[in-house]
Amino acid sequence: MEENKLQCSSVVDGNFEEVPRETVIQFKPPLYRQRYQFVKNLVEQHEPKKVADLGCGDTSLLRLLKVNPCIELLVGVDINEDKLRWRGDTLAPFMGDFLKPRDLNLTITLYHGSVVERDSRLLGFDLITCIELIEHLDSGDLARFPEVVFGYLSPSMIVISTPNSEFNPLFPSVTLRDSDHKFEWTRMEFQTWALYVANRYDYSVEFTGVGEPPAGAENVGYCTQIGIFRKNGGKAMESCVSEQHDQHVYKATMGLTMLPRLVLNFHPQAVLLPNPPKMLRLQVFTTSYPSLQQERFFKLVLVNEVSQQVESLRVSHLPRQKKQDGEWGDKPKDSKAPGPCFGPVFTEIEKAKIENSPKPFCVGDKFFVPLQRLLAYPKLNRLCANEEMMRSVIADSIPLSSDGSAVVADLRDYFDEQF
Amino acid sequence: MSGRARARARGVARSSFKATEVGRTQASSLPTSVDLSNNEASSSSGFMGTSRISTNRKYEISSCDAGSTFMERGVKNKRDFMDLDICTREKLAHVRDCKTGSSGIPVKLVTNLFNLDFPQDWQLYQYHVTYLPDLASRRLRIALLYSHSKLSDKAKAFDGAMLFLSQKLEEKVTELSSETQRGETVKMTITLKRELPSSSPMCIQVFNIIFRKILKKLSMYQIGRNFYNPSEPMEIPQHKLSLWPGFAISVSYFESKLLFSADVSYKVLRNETVLEFMTALCHRTGLSCFTQTCEKQLIGLIVLTRYNNRTYRIDDIDWSVRPTHTFQKRDGTEITYVDYYKQQYDITISDLNQPVLVSLLKRKRYDNSEAQLAHLIPELCFLTGLTEQATSDFQLMKAVAEKMRLSPLGRQQRLARLVDDLQRNTNARFELETWGLHFGSQVSLTGRIVPSEKILMQDHICQPVSAADWSKDVRTCKILSAQSLNTWLILCSDRTEYVANSFLNCLRRVGDSMGFIVDYPKIIKVQETPAAFVRAVQQHVDPDVQLVMCILPSNQKTYYDSIKKYLSLDCPVPSQCVLARTLNKQGMMMSIATKIAMQMTCKLGGELWAVEIPLKSLMVVGIDVCKDALSKDVMVVGCVASVNPGITRWFSRCILQRTTTDVADCLKVFMTGALNKWYKYNHDLPARIIVYRAGVGDGQLKTLIEYEVPQLLSSVAESSSNASSRLSVIVVRKKCMPRFFTEMNRTVQNPPLGTVVDSEATRNEWYDFYLISQVAGRGTVSPTYYNVIYDDNGLKPDHMQRLTFKLCHLYYNWPGLISVPAPCQYARKLTFLVAQSIHKEPSLELASFLFYL
Repeated sequence: MEENKLQCSSVVDGNFEEVPRETVIQFKPPLYRQRYQFVKNLVEQHEPKKVADLGCGDTSLLRLLKVNPCIELLVGVDINEDKLRWRGDTLAPFMGDFLKPRDLNLTITLYHGSVVERDSRLLGFDLITCIELIEHLDSGDLARFPEVVFGYLSPSMIVISTPNSEFNPLFPSVTLRDSDHKFEWTRMEFQTWALYVANRYDYSVEFTGVGEPPAGAENVGYCTQIGIFRKNGGKAMESCVSEQHDQHVYKATMGLTMLPRLVLNFHPQAVLLPNPPKMLRLQVFTTSYPSLQQERFFKLVLVNEVSQQVESLRVSHLPRQKKQDGEWGDKPKDSKAPGPCFGPVFTEIEKAKIENSPKPFCVGDKFFVPLQRLLAYPKLNRLCANEEMMRSVIADSIPLSSDGSAVVADLRDYFDEQF
Repeated sequence: MSGRARARARGVARSSFKATEVGRTQASSLPTSVDLSNNEASSSSGFMGTSRISTNRKYEISSCDAGSTFMERGVKNKRDFMDLDICTREKLAHVRDCKTGSSGIPVKLVTNLFNLDFPQDWQLYQYHVTYLPDLASRRLRIALLYSHSKLSDKAKAFDGAMLFLSQKLEEKVTELSSETQRGETVKMTITLKRELPSSSPMCIQVFNIIFRKILKKLSMYQIGRNFYNPSEPMEIPQHKLSLWPGFAISVSYFESKLLFSADVSYKVLRNETVLEFMTALCHRTGLSCFTQTCEKQLIGLIVLTRYNNRTYRIDDIDWSVRPTHTFQKRDGTEITYVDYYKQQYDITISDLNQPVLVSLLKRKRYDNSEAQLAHLIPELCFLTGLTEQATSDFQLMKAVAEKMRLSPLGRQQRLARLVDDLQRNTNARFELETWGLHFGSQVSLTGRIVPSEKILMQDHICQPVSAADWSKDVRTCKILSAQSLNTWLILCSDRTEYVANSFLNCLRRVGDSMGFIVDYPKIIKVQETPAAFVRAVQQHVDPDVQLVMCILPSNQKTYYDSIKKYLSLDCPVPSQCVLARTLNKQGMMMSIATKIAMQMTCKLGGELWAVEIPLKSLMVVGIDVCKDALSKDVMVVGCVASVNPGITRWFSRCILQRTTTDVADCLKVFMTGALNKWYKYNHDLPARIIVYRAGVGDGQLKTLIEYEVPQLLSSVAESSSNASSRLSVIVVRKKCMPRFFTEMNRTVQNPPLGTVVDSEATRNEWYDFYLISQVAGRGTVSPTYYNVIYDDNGLKPDHMQRLTFKLCHLYYNWPGLISVPAPCQYARKLTFLVAQSIHKEPSLELASFLFYL
């Protein structure tokens, strides 16, 4: 939907400069990145749970946002289906996401379709972003846009960015920045439109931008102008959401194969979609992330953390033992030797809490760590509130003492003999 | 048998998973697959972790565009297909018309192969696409082509240059034009290059790509070329492992048709970060030797970064850099690692004292610019694969095997579920249909069970109840021959002296009943350090000593290695190491003593049992190769040859060479030695030689045929002035895709021992067969695959198969059948000992003994 997104496909991994078009002006970091960073900062600041990006293009922004722990639902909508389909895979969870799951659930869904269609699945969002979108809409769509996004979807916050045409004279020989742009607005034009829309749908708006003008040309303003719209009176009302629930414009992928392809050309401009039918929006991709909210993964993480902690306590128990045995007499341990020292760093309060908890102990060749002790460690405490809960989750994975109050391990294992 | 030896013997008998799924295959299982349509998908997000380092070293930074071609990307893939071009059967006159045997009882078998149905005249059309103006970005080229209306409803696979369609375009040359978002008009010229029949290798490659695409649609996670289901992990928390169940799939052309094969596979993932590993290691070793040990343990391992899903090899550890240090980003700004990961991935680094790992990035570009380094934070890197240490941990491997074990019924059910998913999932079915394919029925075929073998003892011929283990059947029988053990040593510590004595009593008792006379040894007490053991050996071994037994206090590798090294190189005397712990096992002393007695007999040159060999003058040879554990560029080649017609005595050589040289080069040295030995014992040369060659990787068949076979032939020819021995060369593979089940009593089971399959699941171009010669217990048996690549002997397929089966009975470390012919297993054992412990060519004085058992 914006000029840079296509260019970004010519270089791997989004790590590139804006392709110079005989321009003297170059932004660092590149302008598109500044726009994304702007949204990212906004998300960090406001911690929305449900975020949608309209005109998500190659899903770069979604990929940037998915690492944010507060987001639980992330939706992208674009008219270019091939791009969605083809980049969708990159949004799927990584192997590491299974090994270290997130705290909260996250679902990412991509829909194919026009952004000016009403779709109940986009109701009740905390944030909807339209980055470099509106300038691609023809006058008809632009007219419908406020009604759909502000009036119908009515999220708590909307971010709209669009080129500032006052900046354009600084580019050599540029009329419009992209051949698909239907218009580019001055600050005045954008703000007038924005204020009208905000007023009509009861939002307040605040203007800013990214892409500082060069020295001496400060009066032209930011290269990209941004409007942040906040709904007056807080969050979207649940009641009005349920009323309109049945309006599904997106369809599940299943139906897709049966329908003729709707978008036949790479170029949105060439697509003829006279009054698109209601079935237009199709879900092309969806994925859910493993998280601690899911019992299976919660158990996995807790069991691993417990094993890890027991193991660490066990090995730190060993050297003293060895010295007593005299087995390692030929390798004196020099405690003063300079060297790396790691492991978690605890605050004084945490230290005290650990010190005051029951200590691990040995009986024969078995090593016991009381669950109470484990709970004293911040990492485990964060996962698990009480002993009872810990016991019930780990009981069938980790050997426990007969009264269930401690984890039991063999004092020595195979690896100890290797060193 | 010592604990160590037992672990290995078991590994031998049932650890097919060891090499395939658990071993350090991680490095090769990076996403290297050719995925024509979804390319780049796996390598997209986050350039980072690979940040530039703010030192004064110069690193060339590039935005390396992956513009390589289909062929280049598919190197690994290509290798698999390379073997397919080799047709060996047409040169073997006696099997040209028929390579199947006929003896034995027919048995109906179900396979893990599935028919793929498509129209008779089905073809694949290969096009070449050029762009004007030329576009450097592959991604852009693909995007432009994919979005063009002309191709949008066609099944296609495209890598940026080569396009495959299942329907022909109307014109031979099609001109299309598209506009980029920047408004440039790009002309695309699509030219028909070839029409490929369904059996062509290129077509098979495309089929594989199609199926990979389909499996992705079933929400499976692709790692390497296999597909896993991460939502149903199995955990082994005590070893910090997760197992993901999944499938290895492939499409290949078998005897007469294209078949889809699927086998259950597991991905072993480690729930352990490098930092956790380091912390634990630090506790174990103490600080003084920590950095050194840590580097030794970690360098060379592959790690997975959790934030961008990439894998890196650890090439170094930089102890001077901390997460709080800064590095230079590509835009020139300086940022600390802590801030960088917070900003980029919202990850908080908790340990600020950790060092950084250094990885040398592989260049994707062809220019010779300087290598790029990446700094990685240990806390954010997961270990992958199992270390050698882990694979030698019997408990761990047992736990993994336990989890992975799947009965034939369980396996069949998983397959059925996969097939069901493939057929039900609309997306998957649609994809197949657009290509004109239909997923067909499971293939069943007829195998044969070859007759069981009798075991020949000294004065008794025994028909074992089960060929899997005849130890009970021969308990009262005398072994074929044994040297009596008169002068020998036992080394033990104070603590273990008691068990040493009680063990000695047992050993003498069982030796007596076997016909192996054991005199009292000299018992030497030593301190519990590896050095003390070696010193004692040095002091007490004189030329009269026949054997040294060491009772080891722990399984620390240095004990075993230093003793074996000294007694195989400097002072060649057979040795027997036993863990004290093994001898302490209550109630098992007799069976342990029996096993050790058998091993000792062999090490002294004795013979345990034989099977009937109908060929009168036959030498069998086993060859295996593996990499040296210390220096990875050294290859250990182990060769073993039988030196008597009964195939009970063996000659061995183990040769170390640079990996760059061909294995063939040392074969001559070995063959000449083996033939001399044979001549010495038999006063003639063998009429027939059959070589079993193991350790052959994908794509090496050509080298074998072009270099190794001629080398073997020439050394055989040179050894004799008149008619030389006739030679056969058979490639032995324990890893193969097909699995076979019998349907019995409405359930599926493993086929009986001695089942041979030589039709349908074999390949038309080869003289090949499958043989089941091992028991899988509760798991599913994997057949061993034999490919006869050279055959002067002209034995009937029946005879070749039966002879191979007979040889599987002759491994003296296990009184039962094993999965490969004994010479292969001896060669494997020998290379393992040398590669792990000795690292040098063992003394030739030991060449006639099975000292490596």
